[in-house]
Amino acid sequence: MTAPTSGAGSIVLAVVALIGFGAFAYRALRLYRYLRLGKADPERTGQQGRRLRDELVIYLGQRKLFKRPYLVRGIAHALIFWGFLVITVGTVDLLASGIGRFHIPFSDSALFAWSVDVFAVLVLASIALAAIRRAFFRPPRMHVALDGYVILGLITVLMLSLLTFEAAGTAARLVEKGVTPPPLAGLLVPLVEGPFAASLFTGAWWVHVVTVLAFAAYLPQSKHLHIVTTLPNVYFRTTRPRGALKLIADIEEQESFGAATLRDLTWKQHLDGYTCTECGRCSDNCPAAATGKPLDPQRIVLDLRDLLLREGDALLASAEATGTAPAHQSETKPEELWACTTCAACVEACPVTIEHIDKIVDMRRYLTMMESAAPPEAQKALANIERAGNPWGEAREARGDWAEGLSVPTIAEKPDAEYLYFVGCAASYDRRNQRVAKALARILDAAGLSFAILGREETCNGDPARRIGNEYLWQQQAQANLDTFAKHKVRKVITSCPHCFNTIANEYPQLGGKYEVIHALPLVERLIAEGKITVVGGAEQATVAYHDPCYLGRHNKIYDQPRNVLDALPDVRRVEIEPHCRERGFCCGAGGGRMWMEEKVGQRVNHKRVDQLLAIEQKASSVASGCPFCLIMLEEGVGAKGVQDDVKPVDVLELVAARLSDGGRA
Amino acid sequence: MKILICLKQVPDSTVRVKVAPGGKDIVTEGMTWAISPYDEYAIELALEVKDGDPTTTVSVVSVGPARARDALRQALAMGCDDASLVVGEASGLGLSRALAKVVMEAKPDVVLCGKQASDDDQGFIGPALAEALSWPHVPFVTKLAGASGAVEAWRETEGGHEVWKASAPVVLTVQKSAKEPRYPSLPGIMKAKKKEIPEREIVSLNVDTSGQTLEIASLEPPPVRGGGKMLKDGDMAAIAADLVRLLREEAKVL
Repeated sequence: MTAPTSGAGSIVLAVVALIGFGAFAYRALRLYRYLRLGKADPERTGQQGRRLRDELVIYLGQRKLFKRPYLVRGIAHALIFWGFLVITVGTVDLLASGIGRFHIPFSDSALFAWSVDVFAVLVLASIALAAIRRAFFRPPRMHVALDGYVILGLITVLMLSLLTFEAAGTAARLVEKGVTPPPLAGLLVPLVEGPFAASLFTGAWWVHVVTVLAFAAYLPQSKHLHIVTTLPNVYFRTTRPRGALKLIADIEEQESFGAATLRDLTWKQHLDGYTCTECGRCSDNCPAAATGKPLDPQRIVLDLRDLLLREGDALLASAEATGTAPAHQSETKPEELWACTTCAACVEACPVTIEHIDKIVDMRRYLTMMESAAPPEAQKALANIERAGNPWGEAREARGDWAEGLSVPTIAEKPDAEYLYFVGCAASYDRRNQRVAKALARILDAAGLSFAILGREETCNGDPARRIGNEYLWQQQAQANLDTFAKHKVRKVITSCPHCFNTIANEYPQLGGKYEVIHALPLVERLIAEGKITVVGGAEQATVAYHDPCYLGRHNKIYDQPRNVLDALPDVRRVEIEPHCRERGFCCGAGGGRMWMEEKVGQRVNHKRVDQLLAIEQKASSVASGCPFCLIMLEEGVGAKGVQDDVKPVDVLELVAARLSDGGRA
Repeated sequence: MKILICLKQVPDSTVRVKVAPGGKDIVTEGMTWAISPYDEYAIELALEVKDGDPTTTVSVVSVGPARARDALRQALAMGCDDASLVVGEASGLGLSRALAKVVMEAKPDVVLCGKQASDDDQGFIGPALAEALSWPHVPFVTKLAGASGAVEAWRETEGGHEVWKASAPVVLTVQKSAKEPRYPSLPGIMKAKKKEIPEREIVSLNVDTSGQTLEIASLEPPPVRGGGKMLKDGDMAAIAADLVRLLREEAKVL
């Protein structure tokens, strides 16, 4: 269509465009300078292939928006987003023709005309859906502010003015020669035909372009900036395995630890703040938030962003200025930080790949290592790990006692064992979990696998220390185990604890320890599939609900193997704790060092989990998991609710061991 | 205020102690050593005074084997200002005289000792040190405040507390209190690693460290605890009757 800008019009448009984009650039530059206050972050480069793939899948493909509970709104969002991409091309053409009197290539094509019109209509429909949801069906954790309505309003004006000027322009015969006329807006032509069509075209056209420029100026003041920042935020997302926390390299040479100031967070952590869309999905899925704890993961991200916006200028003005310590930003901040179970429900749910846990742990590191301000019970656990090599504070020498009288050799006794079974503290000392260790030993025996344990040479893998924020203790523990592994030439490691598994598989490589690590459940799945063990069923059918441990499931994507093991047991009918299963699995409350802290505020997380378990339609007689801490928490939960006789917490390994056919081997 | 803490390194409470062959000693090979728990409370108490008044200095001293250096290092990591080690064996009165010599040289206003060491549980050194110095002694203290030329010391009693005032210098022995000993910060640990811990031989004190008044006749581990008994058969009345019978006849406690 011929732009209604002749002579002075072009100049006016050029000036307006300059103001609009100038305002955007001014604010964007300021935000960029704030962001650069953050620390360097060496892990954000490299692996280009994976980063580009992420852009295609997560940014362009909108993959993380289509999670089960958010499907409809996810599709609506994707339509608005894809529409935005297409229509932006149209906007560029509009400005080019309005200011410079030229068109971009292919803007005359039918594909172009159809795309713009179809998406304009789809965007309008999606906007209506979004507005209705905001106004009438607001999700409980959604942070609804004027900002959202401003954005929805601006997009509505954009789409309506677009369709109007297209229709009026067509009616006024302004479609240029050889250009495909707007197919859908064309249907509106009868409504706008007449002597005023040309004026309507001019008016709507100007409303449209001025709104585009107002949008540009408004964008960096708004959460809607995520349409720009998601692009780099996805690109620079961590390539660490999800379960691995960041290493503090050369820790003995450092003088400060964790995030004491905004300068101690990395620039990427600040970019996370700019990218947050305030959708609240993180908080929606957070077990701490769901049980009345002060933690709200969305606030963790937004508080840091707001602090940066508030104190950024002062920090830029003086290199000495430190500003408010993020971990003490508000009075309740430490309690928020300690409430986190590091279950990764927030990270899983976030559509724009914000890394919540890293921020929480960085602030915990500051509290724990700089201020010695971890909760007293947590410090007790740390002291116990330091002194006795386990958070319970049980005797180091007693670590292998559970295996007394069994045919479980130590690696010193059987140096040529193929596998090391890294038992972990829970299965070594906790009486309930010792039964799980014994069950695994029986299974491995039955399969004829050559394995040994470290006995008293084993020490805590360090997971609770690292997650409570004591990186130094974690490194000491890890190094002690690495030295022991090296001494015995260990290459393959079996664990029955997902925390041991995660730490040895995903975190020990940071210190140079690379082993073939397997959790017992995937191993048992393989042993069954290969016929190394055979299982027989009892007479009665048992209904078993599977509880996903966070450090198997979300952190390591081990969802199917434990289920396959349950399905291989002839007398077991497996059921899901819908809808809180697989990647939506609800934490037991013990992760992130929470096992070692009191839980006095709100409902206990494990009690809520048992409520969910009791609420499913198919009554389960057992709830099976693959984690010693889940087991402890579930045991406590069913006990507190008085349902221990109705639904028994077990480890999947116990169910398998109890069904081993004579001799085990097929 | 100038505070000096006398510290003993003992087997860590998480360790399962084994009696050495001969029955007069424990196996120390592969032992995890730690600061005696009441001494840790003494450190915490002193550091709280220092938190309130930064002019306070807190020193620690230990008389014992060379490995006691680790315990002193831990005290430095917690926040004590300096530490010194006297290498040598002494106990009882001999040890008290050795410590008294160190105290005289250091001239503190307050000497703190844990109320007893967790290994031998004698509770002897604090009062004996006060005696050797001819200083006043207040036992089982949980809180401390300076008051010109004197100190005020809190002692927990049943349902309340007493406040004792003593002229300085004074020896206080420290009881467990609600304030758990602090966990060292990482910068504290790093700083402590770099600090010098001066060391000297016990003979250089020129005091009579003899006076071994106690000899261990024999050590034996406590008897292994038998399993519990569950009374499940019958109604409440029958179970209660059963319980009373067993308490009287088997346990012989009624």
